[in-house]
Amino acid sequence: MKITKELERVLMKVQKPGRYVGGEWNAVMKDPREIDVRFAFCFPDTYEVGMSHLGMKILYSLFNEQDFLWCERVFAPWTDMEEEMRKRQIPLYALESGDPIRDFDFIGFTLQYELSYSNVLNMLDLAGVPLRTADRAEGDPVVVAGGPCACNPEPLAEFIDLFFIGEGEEVDLEVIRLYREYRAQKKSRAEFLRAAAQIEGVYVPSLYDVSYGEDGLIRAVTPREGAPAKVRKRLMRDLDHTYFPDRFVTPYLDIVHNRAVGEVFRGCIRGCRFCQAGFLYRPVREKSPETVDRQCHDLCENTGYDEVSLSSLSTSDYSRIQELLDRMLQWSRGEKVSISLPSLRVDGFSDELTSKIKTVRRSGLTFAPEAGTQRLRDVINKNVEEDVLLQTVRTAFAGGWNTVKLYFMIGLPTETMEDVAGIAALAQKVVDAYYEDPARKKGRGVTVTVSASSFVPKPFTPFQWEPQDSIGMLHEKQACLVHSIHTRRITANWHDADTSFLEAVFARGDRRLGPVLAEAHRRGMRFDGWSDCFSLARWLEVFHDCGVDPAFYANRRRSFDEVLPWDHIDYGIKKEFLIEECKKAYQDQTTPNCREACSHCGASCFQGGICVEARSHLV
Amino acid sequence: MKPVRIWFEKKGAARFISHLDLNRCISRAIHQAKIPLWYTQGFNPHAFLTFALPLPLGVRGERESFDIRLEEDLPEEELLRRLNAVLPEDIRLFSAKPPVKKPGEIAWARYRIELEPENGDCAAFCGGLRALLGSEGVWVEKRTKSGTARIDLHPYFRDTEIREEGGKAVLEPLLPAGSRENINPLLLLQALEQRIPGGFYASVSRQGLFDAEKKEFA
Repeated sequence: MKITKELERVLMKVQKPGRYVGGEWNAVMKDPREIDVRFAFCFPDTYEVGMSHLGMKILYSLFNEQDFLWCERVFAPWTDMEEEMRKRQIPLYALESGDPIRDFDFIGFTLQYELSYSNVLNMLDLAGVPLRTADRAEGDPVVVAGGPCACNPEPLAEFIDLFFIGEGEEVDLEVIRLYREYRAQKKSRAEFLRAAAQIEGVYVPSLYDVSYGEDGLIRAVTPREGAPAKVRKRLMRDLDHTYFPDRFVTPYLDIVHNRAVGEVFRGCIRGCRFCQAGFLYRPVREKSPETVDRQCHDLCENTGYDEVSLSSLSTSDYSRIQELLDRMLQWSRGEKVSISLPSLRVDGFSDELTSKIKTVRRSGLTFAPEAGTQRLRDVINKNVEEDVLLQTVRTAFAGGWNTVKLYFMIGLPTETMEDVAGIAALAQKVVDAYYEDPARKKGRGVTVTVSASSFVPKPFTPFQWEPQDSIGMLHEKQACLVHSIHTRRITANWHDADTSFLEAVFARGDRRLGPVLAEAHRRGMRFDGWSDCFSLARWLEVFHDCGVDPAFYANRRRSFDEVLPWDHIDYGIKKEFLIEECKKAYQDQTTPNCREACSHCGASCFQGGICVEARSHLV
Repeated sequence: MKPVRIWFEKKGAARFISHLDLNRCISRAIHQAKIPLWYTQGFNPHAFLTFALPLPLGVRGERESFDIRLEEDLPEEELLRRLNAVLPEDIRLFSAKPPVKKPGEIAWARYRIELEPENGDCAAFCGGLRALLGSEGVWVEKRTKSGTARIDLHPYFRDTEIREEGGKAVLEPLLPAGSRENINPLLLLQALEQRIPGGFYASVSRQGLFDAEKKEFA
């Protein structure tokens, strides 16, 4: 990109200027004179976080495959850079061309977590684009958004012109092509949005009216001007024939996940009741080992990365993992590339598997039992048995590991203090398992880290009606956890309950949070996911001054017949199924995974993946 | 095993890339280009790659170098072609030769500093600059491993000629560089910002490295 002397002066003053200059290996450069449509792909967090995100890499490359389109990257400038940009009136620009994004055709945000919403507004503001849909004129960019948080788009409804629901590979391009066609015909912005709303997977919030009852609950969501009553998500049925990039922009800076990433499948067979991703991405669709192997190899060839990670929601559930690893090992050893598996289930850890992944490098072991007692694990449908976990760690200890990280959640529905103490008890059993091994190396201790996050109820899960524990209760549970630990071999840490509370508010929020968000932005809120920027006290002031009670969204038990803010968004999962699952949770009943038996969640409507494959041989 | 010193330019976006990041970038390029690199023979083998002298963040490099060791011989042209093909445009390799001197012999560096006063009055700016650097006590804060130290820039810049070129003040100081003493040219900008009124745009590049006898590092 062109670095003006004005920008150069700013770059000399800020931390990590490499975040703001582009020019990386594999960044796509095009001649703007030969381009019809320009798309600013915005990740509302820092460069290091955004550059680690696979979805952005896929869409960036896919968009740039189109001759008429140039997709460029934009990240949220850190506070020091923002201050300098505002001082010198440098508008938010894209990293490939350096051009201000307010001159682009599209500004697209990926919504990965609720706490980035304030950054969405701040980036629009830095770009010099009107924040609200209603205030944008004909020449302004079309502001679009997608990603998992688009499943409840309502808190952002007044700021985003158009949401993509579900997977973007097809629908994004359909919308961009429609825009190109409409612009050529000199049609208006309103005409374009109306027509776009007819595309499956597109939600244009300005075409829906929301009415509220006197009790403060939503009465109805009514579509206008021919918009569909329900917007169904888009999904790629056959991942072997779905676009996947053969190169990534390879950053100079050390980003959060600095490696090649192969995607082995989408969706998850498990159905853990707290896990939103497990429901949003149904059904499970696997790639063949041939495809994954080729894609990983291409990426390594074109990036120079010496590490490739096999990504999915639960990679050890990949039905052909051994076959895949065998294929990859044929080239990875000779090319000095190591293979890593990011998420392991406790029952997916075997000697054979680990002997293959530790060929070059090995890191600590991480497991996620999520709850401390079997009863509570049954409630959340995390089908992990204690003896399986202990057997697994014994295998790992025998293999030379001596650090284990265990992930838990506190504040889960039906949780008692016994369940919380159970977390410490389980960690203690892991410690004991280490010392039981007579063959262990003398003089070498074990470290078990217990990480406890706070449960946040999310839309499209069986717990979408559940209240979140109050911040006070979460603090009590954190204290209970600490007091239940009786050895220095166990370290406990936890996520800040304040941020989990705000996350819960926005996760299940409605359009009445729009003005709150706008006011929070006006008062300088951004980077709420970063402890050095986040202040719940300041947020509570905003809620108070806007006359909105955040507890209404976070801590209230909703009834099954309440109209939920996201009821007009359809992920294929039937509401009756979620209600059934919620009831089963309260009866400590588990539900089999998708490979064991179909539970008729509704995802078979997409006619893809595991719903249409023969099940018998896969168990 | 054949040691090679590769000479390169670091410009554009790459001048905002730290030493550590540059190291990672070059390693990745070597890996991608499948250069037959010699690996250290220790318990944890890794590629031998070492840079002559880190470049301060924001400074352009005209003649920088790093050393590698090759397992088998590669013609210079092929080595450069294969590496340049997998490096960002802003890092260009232009020569690969057997090293002559040890990086530890580096004692001086030549920089080119261009300063453009915002108000356009270059003559006045140069006058201010001469007056400032001609007198003792140009104190600036310098970050060191153990906190900050105060140093006087006067001895380092008093002999530096200040020329006027197309509305810019141009200085080409030779400053101590290397492990014994290292003076970052950006300290001058820091001193000017505090002492000369009105803003300016700056562009700094490192032209070359020299040993204690001020002979070119090769």
